[in-house]
Amino acid sequence: MSNLFSGIKAQIRGTSAKAGTPVKSPTTPTAESPASSLAPASVSASASASSLHRPAVADRHPSTSSPVPRVSLPESRSHGQSIDVVPTVLDIPRPLPLWLNTACAKHIVKGNFMTLSARPKTVDPGEWVAHQVVEHYRNLWNFVRVLHEKEEDGSSICNPSTCPKMSAGKNHSYTWLNRNHEPVELPAYEYMTLMQRWMSGKIDDPALFPTDPDTVGFALHPEYTSNALQQQQGGEDWLGARSGFPKQLGSTCQLIFRQIFRVYAHLYWDHFVEPFYHLNLEKQLNSCFSHFILTATTLDMLQPAELEPMQYLIDLWAADGTFPPESRPYAYANVERGRYIQSLGTSA
Amino acid sequence: MDSSRLHLNFDNSRPAANDRAFPTTPSTFPQPVFPGPQSGSMQSQQQQQPYGAGYPQQGYFAQNQYGQQQYPGQAVTSDYPSGGYPPQAGTNDPNTGLAHQFSHQNLGGGAARGGQYAARGPSSGRPRTAGGSGQQASYGNYAPPMPSQGVVSSPEFQPIPERNPDKYGTNANSNQKKCSQLAADFFKDSVKRARERNQRQNELEQKLQDPGQSATRREQLWSTAGRKEGQYLRFLRTKDKPENYNTVKIIGKGAFGEVKLVQKKGDGKVYAMKSLIKTEMFKKDQLAHVRSERDILAESDSPWVVKLYTTFQDAYFLYMLMEFLPGGDLMTMLIKYEIFSEDITRFYIAEIVLAIEAVHKLGFIHRDIKPDNILLDRGGHVKLTDFGLSTGFHRLHDNNYYQQLLQGRSNRPRDRTSVAIDQINLTVSNRSQINDWRRSRRLMAYSTVGTPDYIAPEIFTGHGYTFDCDWWSLGTIMFECLVGWPPFCAEDSHDTYRKIVNWRQTLYFPDDITLGAEAENLIRSMVCNTENRLGRGGAHEIKSHAFFRGVDFDSLRRIRAPFEPRLTSNIDTTYFPTDEIDQTDNATLLKAQAIQNRNGQAPEESPEMSLPFIGYTFKRFDNNFR
Repeated sequence: MSNLFSGIKAQIRGTSAKAGTPVKSPTTPTAESPASSLAPASVSASASASSLHRPAVADRHPSTSSPVPRVSLPESRSHGQSIDVVPTVLDIPRPLPLWLNTACAKHIVKGNFMTLSARPKTVDPGEWVAHQVVEHYRNLWNFVRVLHEKEEDGSSICNPSTCPKMSAGKNHSYTWLNRNHEPVELPAYEYMTLMQRWMSGKIDDPALFPTDPDTVGFALHPEYTSNALQQQQGGEDWLGARSGFPKQLGSTCQLIFRQIFRVYAHLYWDHFVEPFYHLNLEKQLNSCFSHFILTATTLDMLQPAELEPMQYLIDLWAADGTFPPESRPYAYANVERGRYIQSLGTSA
Repeated sequence: MDSSRLHLNFDNSRPAANDRAFPTTPSTFPQPVFPGPQSGSMQSQQQQQPYGAGYPQQGYFAQNQYGQQQYPGQAVTSDYPSGGYPPQAGTNDPNTGLAHQFSHQNLGGGAARGGQYAARGPSSGRPRTAGGSGQQASYGNYAPPMPSQGVVSSPEFQPIPERNPDKYGTNANSNQKKCSQLAADFFKDSVKRARERNQRQNELEQKLQDPGQSATRREQLWSTAGRKEGQYLRFLRTKDKPENYNTVKIIGKGAFGEVKLVQKKGDGKVYAMKSLIKTEMFKKDQLAHVRSERDILAESDSPWVVKLYTTFQDAYFLYMLMEFLPGGDLMTMLIKYEIFSEDITRFYIAEIVLAIEAVHKLGFIHRDIKPDNILLDRGGHVKLTDFGLSTGFHRLHDNNYYQQLLQGRSNRPRDRTSVAIDQINLTVSNRSQINDWRRSRRLMAYSTVGTPDYIAPEIFTGHGYTFDCDWWSLGTIMFECLVGWPPFCAEDSHDTYRKIVNWRQTLYFPDDITLGAEAENLIRSMVCNTENRLGRGGAHEIKSHAFFRGVDFDSLRRIRAPFEPRLTSNIDTTYFPTDEIDQTDNATLLKAQAIQNRNGQAPEESPEMSLPFIGYTFKRFDNNFR
């Protein structure tokens, strides 16, 4: 399997844009600007560049051959709002996934968690991003372990027959790049194994994530940091430069965040009920994932278009207050649509 | 960034089973008093019972009424399904406010639904889901307010299934527990860290705004603060490993691992490193133990409790890096001095009272207070720990275990003539016999079984116990300090158990040792049935006993201790019986062995996936960076 380590490629099935934007391999992070190419969603959702603050309601219709029935329902109306609004369309088949049901979109924690994501003023930005990457990676694998670790008899909850592909709903599946940089479809189980190794390889690499306490820097402050220091840094500056991180820290972290997102997307689309709901873990999953989204967007590690497979959940969480109005994910959400989804759900 | 905005109101309706230490498994070290989450359903029920039966279910420390009868509590209130966190559900929920504002008019149900939202308003907390599923039915055309009818799925969505955790295997279910716990821990710790960070930031800003500060000083303040915060973050994300430490000496050994005095490479800082063998921990079901030890050590800022700096693990061991207390333990002291004068006893017992009180205030019952667990710091003052490794890693909660011991046969021949300490009338004249006991004392301490000498009878009779069991232990320790042996010592543990259970007949003060009337009275007030036990209403009952007349508890820790360790260096282990401890580093041996068993290959495993049971490293800022 080692020849498959070389990369990850996104692929969207059911769209004509299948051969779209080339997707960056995690091992070649400098190949292209990381922001633009890595999201599976970006392949076909180029339209959503315009929808940064409000992604288009149906910016990505599946191709005509798609068997996906679309249901259009009139948009819900809020108090005091104009009636002339665009109808809300949910571009996914019914029945809707359970995690969009408000009753199942709840959390183990409440309150405003923006403080947990925002960089403390004195902390070097690179150090903060590195910290967040590691925290979210650890959180994620708590969940993956549940469906990935084998039982005595060798079985696992996520296996090649339950998940022959690393998919996130009908429209998304992710591929690895093999040695020849060809996308290869893998069972989700394999994919996550490779992904885990890839990610821990990065995070445990002291060249990438230094561990020496002596190289730690601090954030520049316009007033308290002397000009000389600021100018001296002016020339060669990159995320984490002042804390001994290599140049590729930013792009590597973006890749890791993107991979984490993919795994979460798979967990939601294919494993929300089996096993997380059954194991009483859906609230934990929701809390960790929403915190992840909050962090990743706040730190610019995920672009709005990349959120696509989970956009509706983000909409819902913007509507239900999980994401406060002043937060990034709220800005990326279609709150009206979120309210609509909310209205469909089983209130609790 | 107002720190007060951070809430950590754990949702009331989450599966409570996994919130805190696994309450089904025993631990000798302080246990959280969070009520056994009965809704857990995934936990083995067998061991859960004693908890339900024995804990005062809430409020020991939440309320200040230490003095009141706080321990009637055999009753189980299942009102707090999410162990320990008071039910603030709903009130801070940003969702509830919002949700009510929306009305919808699709599917023709709009009007009814709008009304329903409104009606739901005042009462809408998070649903309590003791029964399992997290949903209250309030969809559809039911008239508000809606009684909960179980789960009603919306036709738009996949149906909400009946939860069925049993469909998955044991690994999945044990991972479920870890996952749930770690997720809760993550938020709890993150919030705590953020809050403390904000506080530090505020302090910094105050200093920066001081007009008297020079620009250079401001710059320095800023950069120092930033570096410290950054170093802490780096420390959090860095995996520590045993190779980062040099072993100075092994200062404790037990069936589950060992305690070493170590020095960190690089900065030369000294720590006590406890390493626990994972496989043994698994076998003996000790995860909860480690868990709760981590909890109390990590959460306490108390001077009475040993500090925990960090925990980490590799494939074979779990490591706890703790404060090194050079004064050794009370057991070693007692072995050395045999008895203490009443004054010295007063000092130690008074300090232990405060230490136990501190542990209780944190919401934990220690349950295994004994001389091995009472450590002396550099100044000779007391700190509690579970250092000894022996320390009754056995299942304190497992009734069967004790029943077997109680009914079982003594494993030593009855007719042995050598030691007669089974006869209770030990006197000074035959005191030498006690030396046999004393010699075996340390061996006992390092065994898996541990010594039962100080355990309160209610713990192993299985009728439930509560905070006051620690006061019993204190009474037996006080007895030992003054008399020279613990009141129920016997040739083997079976006999000790029997003696403890029959304490009314077996508690005996030797004729030839004169104890002050007050001392004897205090011991008798603690070594007695729980209904009459002093301390049942709080530590103040003990503090105000005549034996402590004149003791100023508030300043106790600041006065000079009767024995101050004389140390030649920061790695002086004079006060540890290192010559009695086999200095073979079993950890290294075991590891080498394991590698050999794998045909010379080091275990190839992705560290995160193999996360055996802690899966996560606790580290705090204060302990490490201040």
